[in-house]
Amino acid sequence: MPVKTSPLLPADLVARLERLELVTRKIFRGRRKGERRSKRKGQSIEFADFRSYVPGDDLRFLDWNLYARLDRLFLKMFQEEEDLHFYTLIDASASMAFGDPSKFDWARQLAAALGFVGLARGDRVKIEPLASAAMPPGPVLRGRRNVWRMTEYLEQLRTEGGLPFAQQIKNFCLRNSSKGIVVLITDLMHKEGYEVGLRYLSAQKLDVYVIHVLADEECDPAISGDLKLVDCEDRDEADVTISRPLLDRYQRSLNGLITGAKQFCSRRGMTYLQARNSLSVSDMVLQYLRGRGLMR
Amino acid sequence: MVPPAIVVLYFLKLRRQPVEVPSTFLWRRSVEDLHVNSIWQRLRQNLLLLLQLLVVLLAILALLRPGWRGTELAGNRFVFLIDRSASMSATDQMPNRLEMARQRVLELIDQMESGSQAMVIGFSDTAQVAQQFTDNRRLLRQAVRRLGPTARRTSLLGALELAAGLANPGRIATEAGDEQVADALPATLYVLSDGKFNDVESRDFSLGNLTPVFVPIGRSDTPNVAVTALSNRAQLASDEQRQVFARVRNFGDNEVTVPVELFFNDALVDADELTVPPNGSSRIVFDLVAAESGTLRLTLNHEDALALDNQAFAVIHRPRQKRVLFVSPGNDIVWWALVTERVRRFADVERMEPEELETPNFRQAAASGQFDLVIFDRCRPAEMPEANTLFIGTIPNRNGWEAESVAAPQIIDTDASHPVMHLVHPDEILIGEALALDPPPGSGVLIDSDRGALCAIHPRAAFEDLVLGFDIVRGTDDGQKLNTNWPLGRLSFPTFLLNVLYYLTGSGDSHSTDSVLPGQPVVLESARPTGQLQVVLPDGQREVVLADRHGTFQFHRTEQTGIYDVRESGDTQSRFAVNLFSESESNVAARVDDIQIGYVDVEGQTQWRPARREIWKSLLLVALGVLLFEWYIYYRRISI
Repeated sequence: MPVKTSPLLPADLVARLERLELVTRKIFRGRRKGERRSKRKGQSIEFADFRSYVPGDDLRFLDWNLYARLDRLFLKMFQEEEDLHFYTLIDASASMAFGDPSKFDWARQLAAALGFVGLARGDRVKIEPLASAAMPPGPVLRGRRNVWRMTEYLEQLRTEGGLPFAQQIKNFCLRNSSKGIVVLITDLMHKEGYEVGLRYLSAQKLDVYVIHVLADEECDPAISGDLKLVDCEDRDEADVTISRPLLDRYQRSLNGLITGAKQFCSRRGMTYLQARNSLSVSDMVLQYLRGRGLMR
Repeated sequence: MVPPAIVVLYFLKLRRQPVEVPSTFLWRRSVEDLHVNSIWQRLRQNLLLLLQLLVVLLAILALLRPGWRGTELAGNRFVFLIDRSASMSATDQMPNRLEMARQRVLELIDQMESGSQAMVIGFSDTAQVAQQFTDNRRLLRQAVRRLGPTARRTSLLGALELAAGLANPGRIATEAGDEQVADALPATLYVLSDGKFNDVESRDFSLGNLTPVFVPIGRSDTPNVAVTALSNRAQLASDEQRQVFARVRNFGDNEVTVPVELFFNDALVDADELTVPPNGSSRIVFDLVAAESGTLRLTLNHEDALALDNQAFAVIHRPRQKRVLFVSPGNDIVWWALVTERVRRFADVERMEPEELETPNFRQAAASGQFDLVIFDRCRPAEMPEANTLFIGTIPNRNGWEAESVAAPQIIDTDASHPVMHLVHPDEILIGEALALDPPPGSGVLIDSDRGALCAIHPRAAFEDLVLGFDIVRGTDDGQKLNTNWPLGRLSFPTFLLNVLYYLTGSGDSHSTDSVLPGQPVVLESARPTGQLQVVLPDGQREVVLADRHGTFQFHRTEQTGIYDVRESGDTQSRFAVNLFSESESNVAARVDDIQIGYVDVEGQTQWRPARREIWKSLLLVALGVLLFEWYIYYRRISI
């Protein structure tokens, strides 16, 4: 099936993503059998193992040939092929609009790439922006033919301020009770803290990937002089006089944020990845995420 | 007004440029980090304000012109007389009196109001203006610093006259009466001295517009030990042995014992210990064996306030042989008196016939000054030679000399004080014919008779002409006959001739030490006719002395004490010594009470009020430094 090209999914990236598939470290029960060999043994055509019969087992899976030879009942087990619920949460707060390319664009591109992999392998892909309630939740997509719908949806997403981060995550968790992989792409720039929101995710027993994207301007601010810094989300103002000590402090605060998030995630079994908007999405997917075991 | 304004300005925060950032979250956290509750951080925040306030405060303080002690110098014209005589080198005031005086004058210059003028005069036995009236303090300070010490004596009068001449402009006489040439402006006269000078008599000097202030320098109880005399002379027995005499004076109230060392040509030859009573003097004599010409140095090994007078210098030199020419048609009696052993020690006497007077050889020799003395016996040259002369029986061929023939004059008086007549008593001699002399004005008559002067001496440029108005012998047809019985059996005749030779050849008895006072001019002699002499000063400097139009060499730079070497084309020709030898300068106890200038008693201003010290310059400098520091801090803050 021809894939409609989109700025979010360049053809060369698509070509490289074709061979990948999403992996999860946890065993999930999908609603439909997908194209993936799950860790679960189940009903498929691919034989996996034998086990002793215990009463109550489906008699259809008894290996009669073995019973004939050994006079013992064995149950044939098959590798279950199942589909995966793959969620991508994109932080659509106003702060994501910064950077060149903006963090939000970068996040959409990454979401498209990951979504493509999921769709290509028949997984259940859902992309949701974490923004105001007014923004329609993304459609649930499955199958390669829906790639265009995904990209179309992603393209029309906009950043806008809205509900607090924790509230958004909570809403997501309430709407999507099923388990699966969650890739959260965010800059973690939330005044009220990101911890509550991530805790909701971890409570869902989801396989959580937190991709912390930062713009270059945030890591090395190129500003000087006496400034009034205006927060783009809540219009909060901070008077600062940029100086070397202040910049050093800023670096320390930023490093503190990153380290704190990393520790928070690792304690709760989440995978934390820090990325810059200058990093190309293909590198991100093909090297870093693959290295972290999200792809195979 | 300014500091509150700065505070107000500081709190009127500057308009900051708004910049939109993804989140102020990290920035706030950083700023909060920066504002941890430490006083230092708070201070840091306001450091710029504090520094600015400090700068303004310093500037205000500087404008207030703070200072302490002392006052402004009132008046607008000052004359500073700084004594730089030998006694001002005394070290009873550290580092020495002159330095102290200069310091005081510098302080006074600092105290001067702007626009007031001052003049600096340095004086010793002469006065010199170091700086004319000016209001340029830099020039004044330079002039004061230029004034160095001298070894001279002190005379206040010259300095006062110099100051008065500049402070009280003279008057010119017109028909209507005295007229002021320029306005006389009152001035304050500061005399900085140790008072080692004579009071200025009222008939000599009147202060006029000058208001004197005497600033005594030095302490009135400073002791000192000094060599006040040093001489040497040949012992009568032989020329080779010499005796060295020295007088050492103690100007203190305690008896002192000083080691005295005698150096001959800078080698220690003798030493002794001398005890000098308080306020008295002691003599010491050294015997010096086989001393050829050389230099003597006497050193007191004694630490006191004035080091200059702890050394004395003397010169031993054998006088060069003098050349004497005896021009006579034949006079054995005089000739024999001229060729004695005693004369041969210092003079070579040549003889010549009167006919040779006209030869070019003689003319040239006479004009070039080859002879020290020419004796003309009954003859006279057409032109006077460049030498001292003795005329016997004739008068010089010069204007002013007149004579009249007289017979049998009776000697009635001699000038015994003149060196030529020393120990000569020609009282009872008989004279046949003689010339009654009428010497030119300014002459000295040495032998007077009832018929007129028989012997007179008259200066001629650098020389002297001595005329003896009667012949010793007369040539007659039958040989020579005595004209007087003077040479017969009397010692006074050869003594007279010896005196003449000593005096007119300039030999004298060589016990004189040729000691010169510092600053005194010296007339140098040259053995050969030459255009220039070189003098090596005690500190090794060399100075060339050119002959003046009389063929004499005047040397003036005798400022240093010590031995001066006079050289002619590289060879030492003679030496002379310069010594302080001044009791008034060696007596370094300063006069602090009062001095008399004309009619005015000037009280010593012992209570010294130092100059008003002002610190506004330093304050401004500190303010500038703080400003720089503030800029640095600001720069550090805004630099990324």
